Amino acid sequence: MNKIQLIHTLPNVFQSRTDIVSDIWKQDVTFEKGKLYLVEANSGTGKSSLCSYIYGYRHDYQGQILFDGEDISGYAVAKWTDIRKKHFALLWQELRMFPELTAWENVDIKNKLTGFQKKKQIREWFDMLGITDKLDTKLGRMSFGQQQRVALIRALCQPFDFLFVDEPISHLDDTNAEIMGRIMTAEAKRQGAGIIATSIGKRINLEYDQVFNL
Amino acid sequence: MNLVWKLLRQHISIPQFMGFFFANLIGVVIILLGVQFYNDYRALDSEDSFMKADYLIVNKKLGALSGLTGKQNTFSQTEVTDLEEADFVEHVGAFTPSTFNVRARFDVEGFVNFSTDMFFESVPDEFVDVKSDAWHYREGSDEIPIILPKNYLDLYNFGYAQGKGLPKLSEGILGAMKLKIQILGNGYGDDFEGRIVGFSSRLNTILVPEAFMQWANGKYAKRDMVKEPTRLIMEVNNPTDDRITSYLQEHDYETDEEKLDASKTTFVLRVVVSIVMVVGVVISILSFYILMLSVFLLVQKNSSKLENLLLIGYSPAKVSFPYQALTVGLNIIVLILAVCIMLLIRSVYLTMFENFFPDLEAPNIMPALAVGLMLLVLVSVFNIVAVRNKVMSIWKRKE
Repeated sequence: MNKIQLIHTLPNVFQSRTDIVSDIWKQDVTFEKGKLYLVEANSGTGKSSLCSYIYGYRHDYQGQILFDGEDISGYAVAKWTDIRKKHFALLWQELRMFPELTAWENVDIKNKLTGFQKKKQIREWFDMLGITDKLDTKLGRMSFGQQQRVALIRALCQPFDFLFVDEPISHLDDTNAEIMGRIMTAEAKRQGAGIIATSIGKRINLEYDQVFNL
Repeated sequence: MNLVWKLLRQHISIPQFMGFFFANLIGVVIILLGVQFYNDYRALDSEDSFMKADYLIVNKKLGALSGLTGKQNTFSQTEVTDLEEADFVEHVGAFTPSTFNVRARFDVEGFVNFSTDMFFESVPDEFVDVKSDAWHYREGSDEIPIILPKNYLDLYNFGYAQGKGLPKLSEGILGAMKLKIQILGNGYGDDFEGRIVGFSSRLNTILVPEAFMQWANGKYAKRDMVKEPTRLIMEVNNPTDDRITSYLQEHDYETDEEKLDASKTTFVLRVVVSIVMVVGVVISILSFYILMLSVFLLVQKNSSKLENLLLIGYSPAKVSFPYQALTVGLNIIVLILAVCIMLLIRSVYLTMFENFFPDLEAPNIMPALAVGLMLLVLVSVFNIVAVRNKVMSIWKRKE
């Protein structure tokens, strides 16, 4: 998949509002594969909604969203499963991890599905992010910042054309944030993929091709 | 799949599943036992495999004077129609008597040499419960299939053979032998071979296929002899129906009371077994309900896990599989256990039966197994669809 287009898209909840000033809502926006985007937003401007529309688990919007020129509103269940497995990776703001499983299992449950990354690579990332000692710790016992790092590793365990990261460093120190940015861009580059990052203040320092104000 | 199972088995309630397990086990055992018991009983009851229990043979009462007064003991067409129209009757067939001379000879060299005048009768083929290829007469063939009354065999074995010191004959041996038959009439005389298909304790006559009878009556009987039947065979829908007895009395007909009683016993048994099986079915349905409730509760409790699995790219089919496998697995274990318990109970009652019927050949357990498998497939399909729908509702809730 090479292109995501938003054509006059607007969340239904904003329908009655007339004061919307946004680079994305009600505009024609294109995200291209291989490029780096930042979406800056204030709280309550529909940042998570944007992710959920593009990831196909919410459809409460008007306007159109196109993947390679194809309207996604008609996509079937199998198509979405395929997209989530092979084309889009998403790091949720609320992480959506499994606290009952260990850090390693949380990553492995995704990698088993895709069979995409080598164990060695995954361990290397754990190492880089400084959480190797937490491999066998139940995720529920880890801090949110640590969980965020595990969630990033999980997101990278699949082939993707676009990587969405929704406030990926909200609970990280600057050093870890920078490491995370390096890992993300390196993997995206390797796969030739695009990155769409969001932030409500704290942003990863990367060379963004375009910055939107939501 | 291991990790998925590790996630999804959280919140499984063992007591709930045990509840389902035992309730369903009891239900399935009752159903299987009902089917099997009825089958086994039928095997005992069917000393006469040529006639179903629901068939009754009707004739007119012969009074002391009827022979002298010339009162007809045959059934006229109107009487047959009247019987056919009665509510309790499914259908009626007439016994067609032979109107030619039959002479039969039976020899086993050195032992028996038996020769007698006799007669044939036939009833419509649908009343004879023999495989159709064995009960078939082809015009021009020398071979006639015959069903003999069991009494004949008893007469020979316990009277004639006993008195003369001759060997006793079993049904099997006689079945393998041929009867030499000579038919005379209308200026013709031909030889045939009788093949004994079996012995009947309910039909007190020498039965041949209707096709043969029509052909033979046409060839050997005198042209003007139009015969009205003296006996009728009828299938009733409920042998316990009082109207049967009153109808027969009213019209001065008689039937073999003992046979009517046997039919009644079978009928009552069938009703009882049906009731027991309905109870089994109800228990099974209730247990199925428990299972579905537990699974739904489980899905509900684990809905956020299921949702997250769907979001990281697991397909609904993959996410549904653990719960589907769980329910289907339980159903299979229940069926296997139920069959074992059924066989155990059966071995107990078969031992009891054998005291009364030493040469009982117990029928196989295929019908019970088939019913069990059908239940398994039905319930499993329901389970699979229900779990899948539940998972899909989690998928769709995000709309």
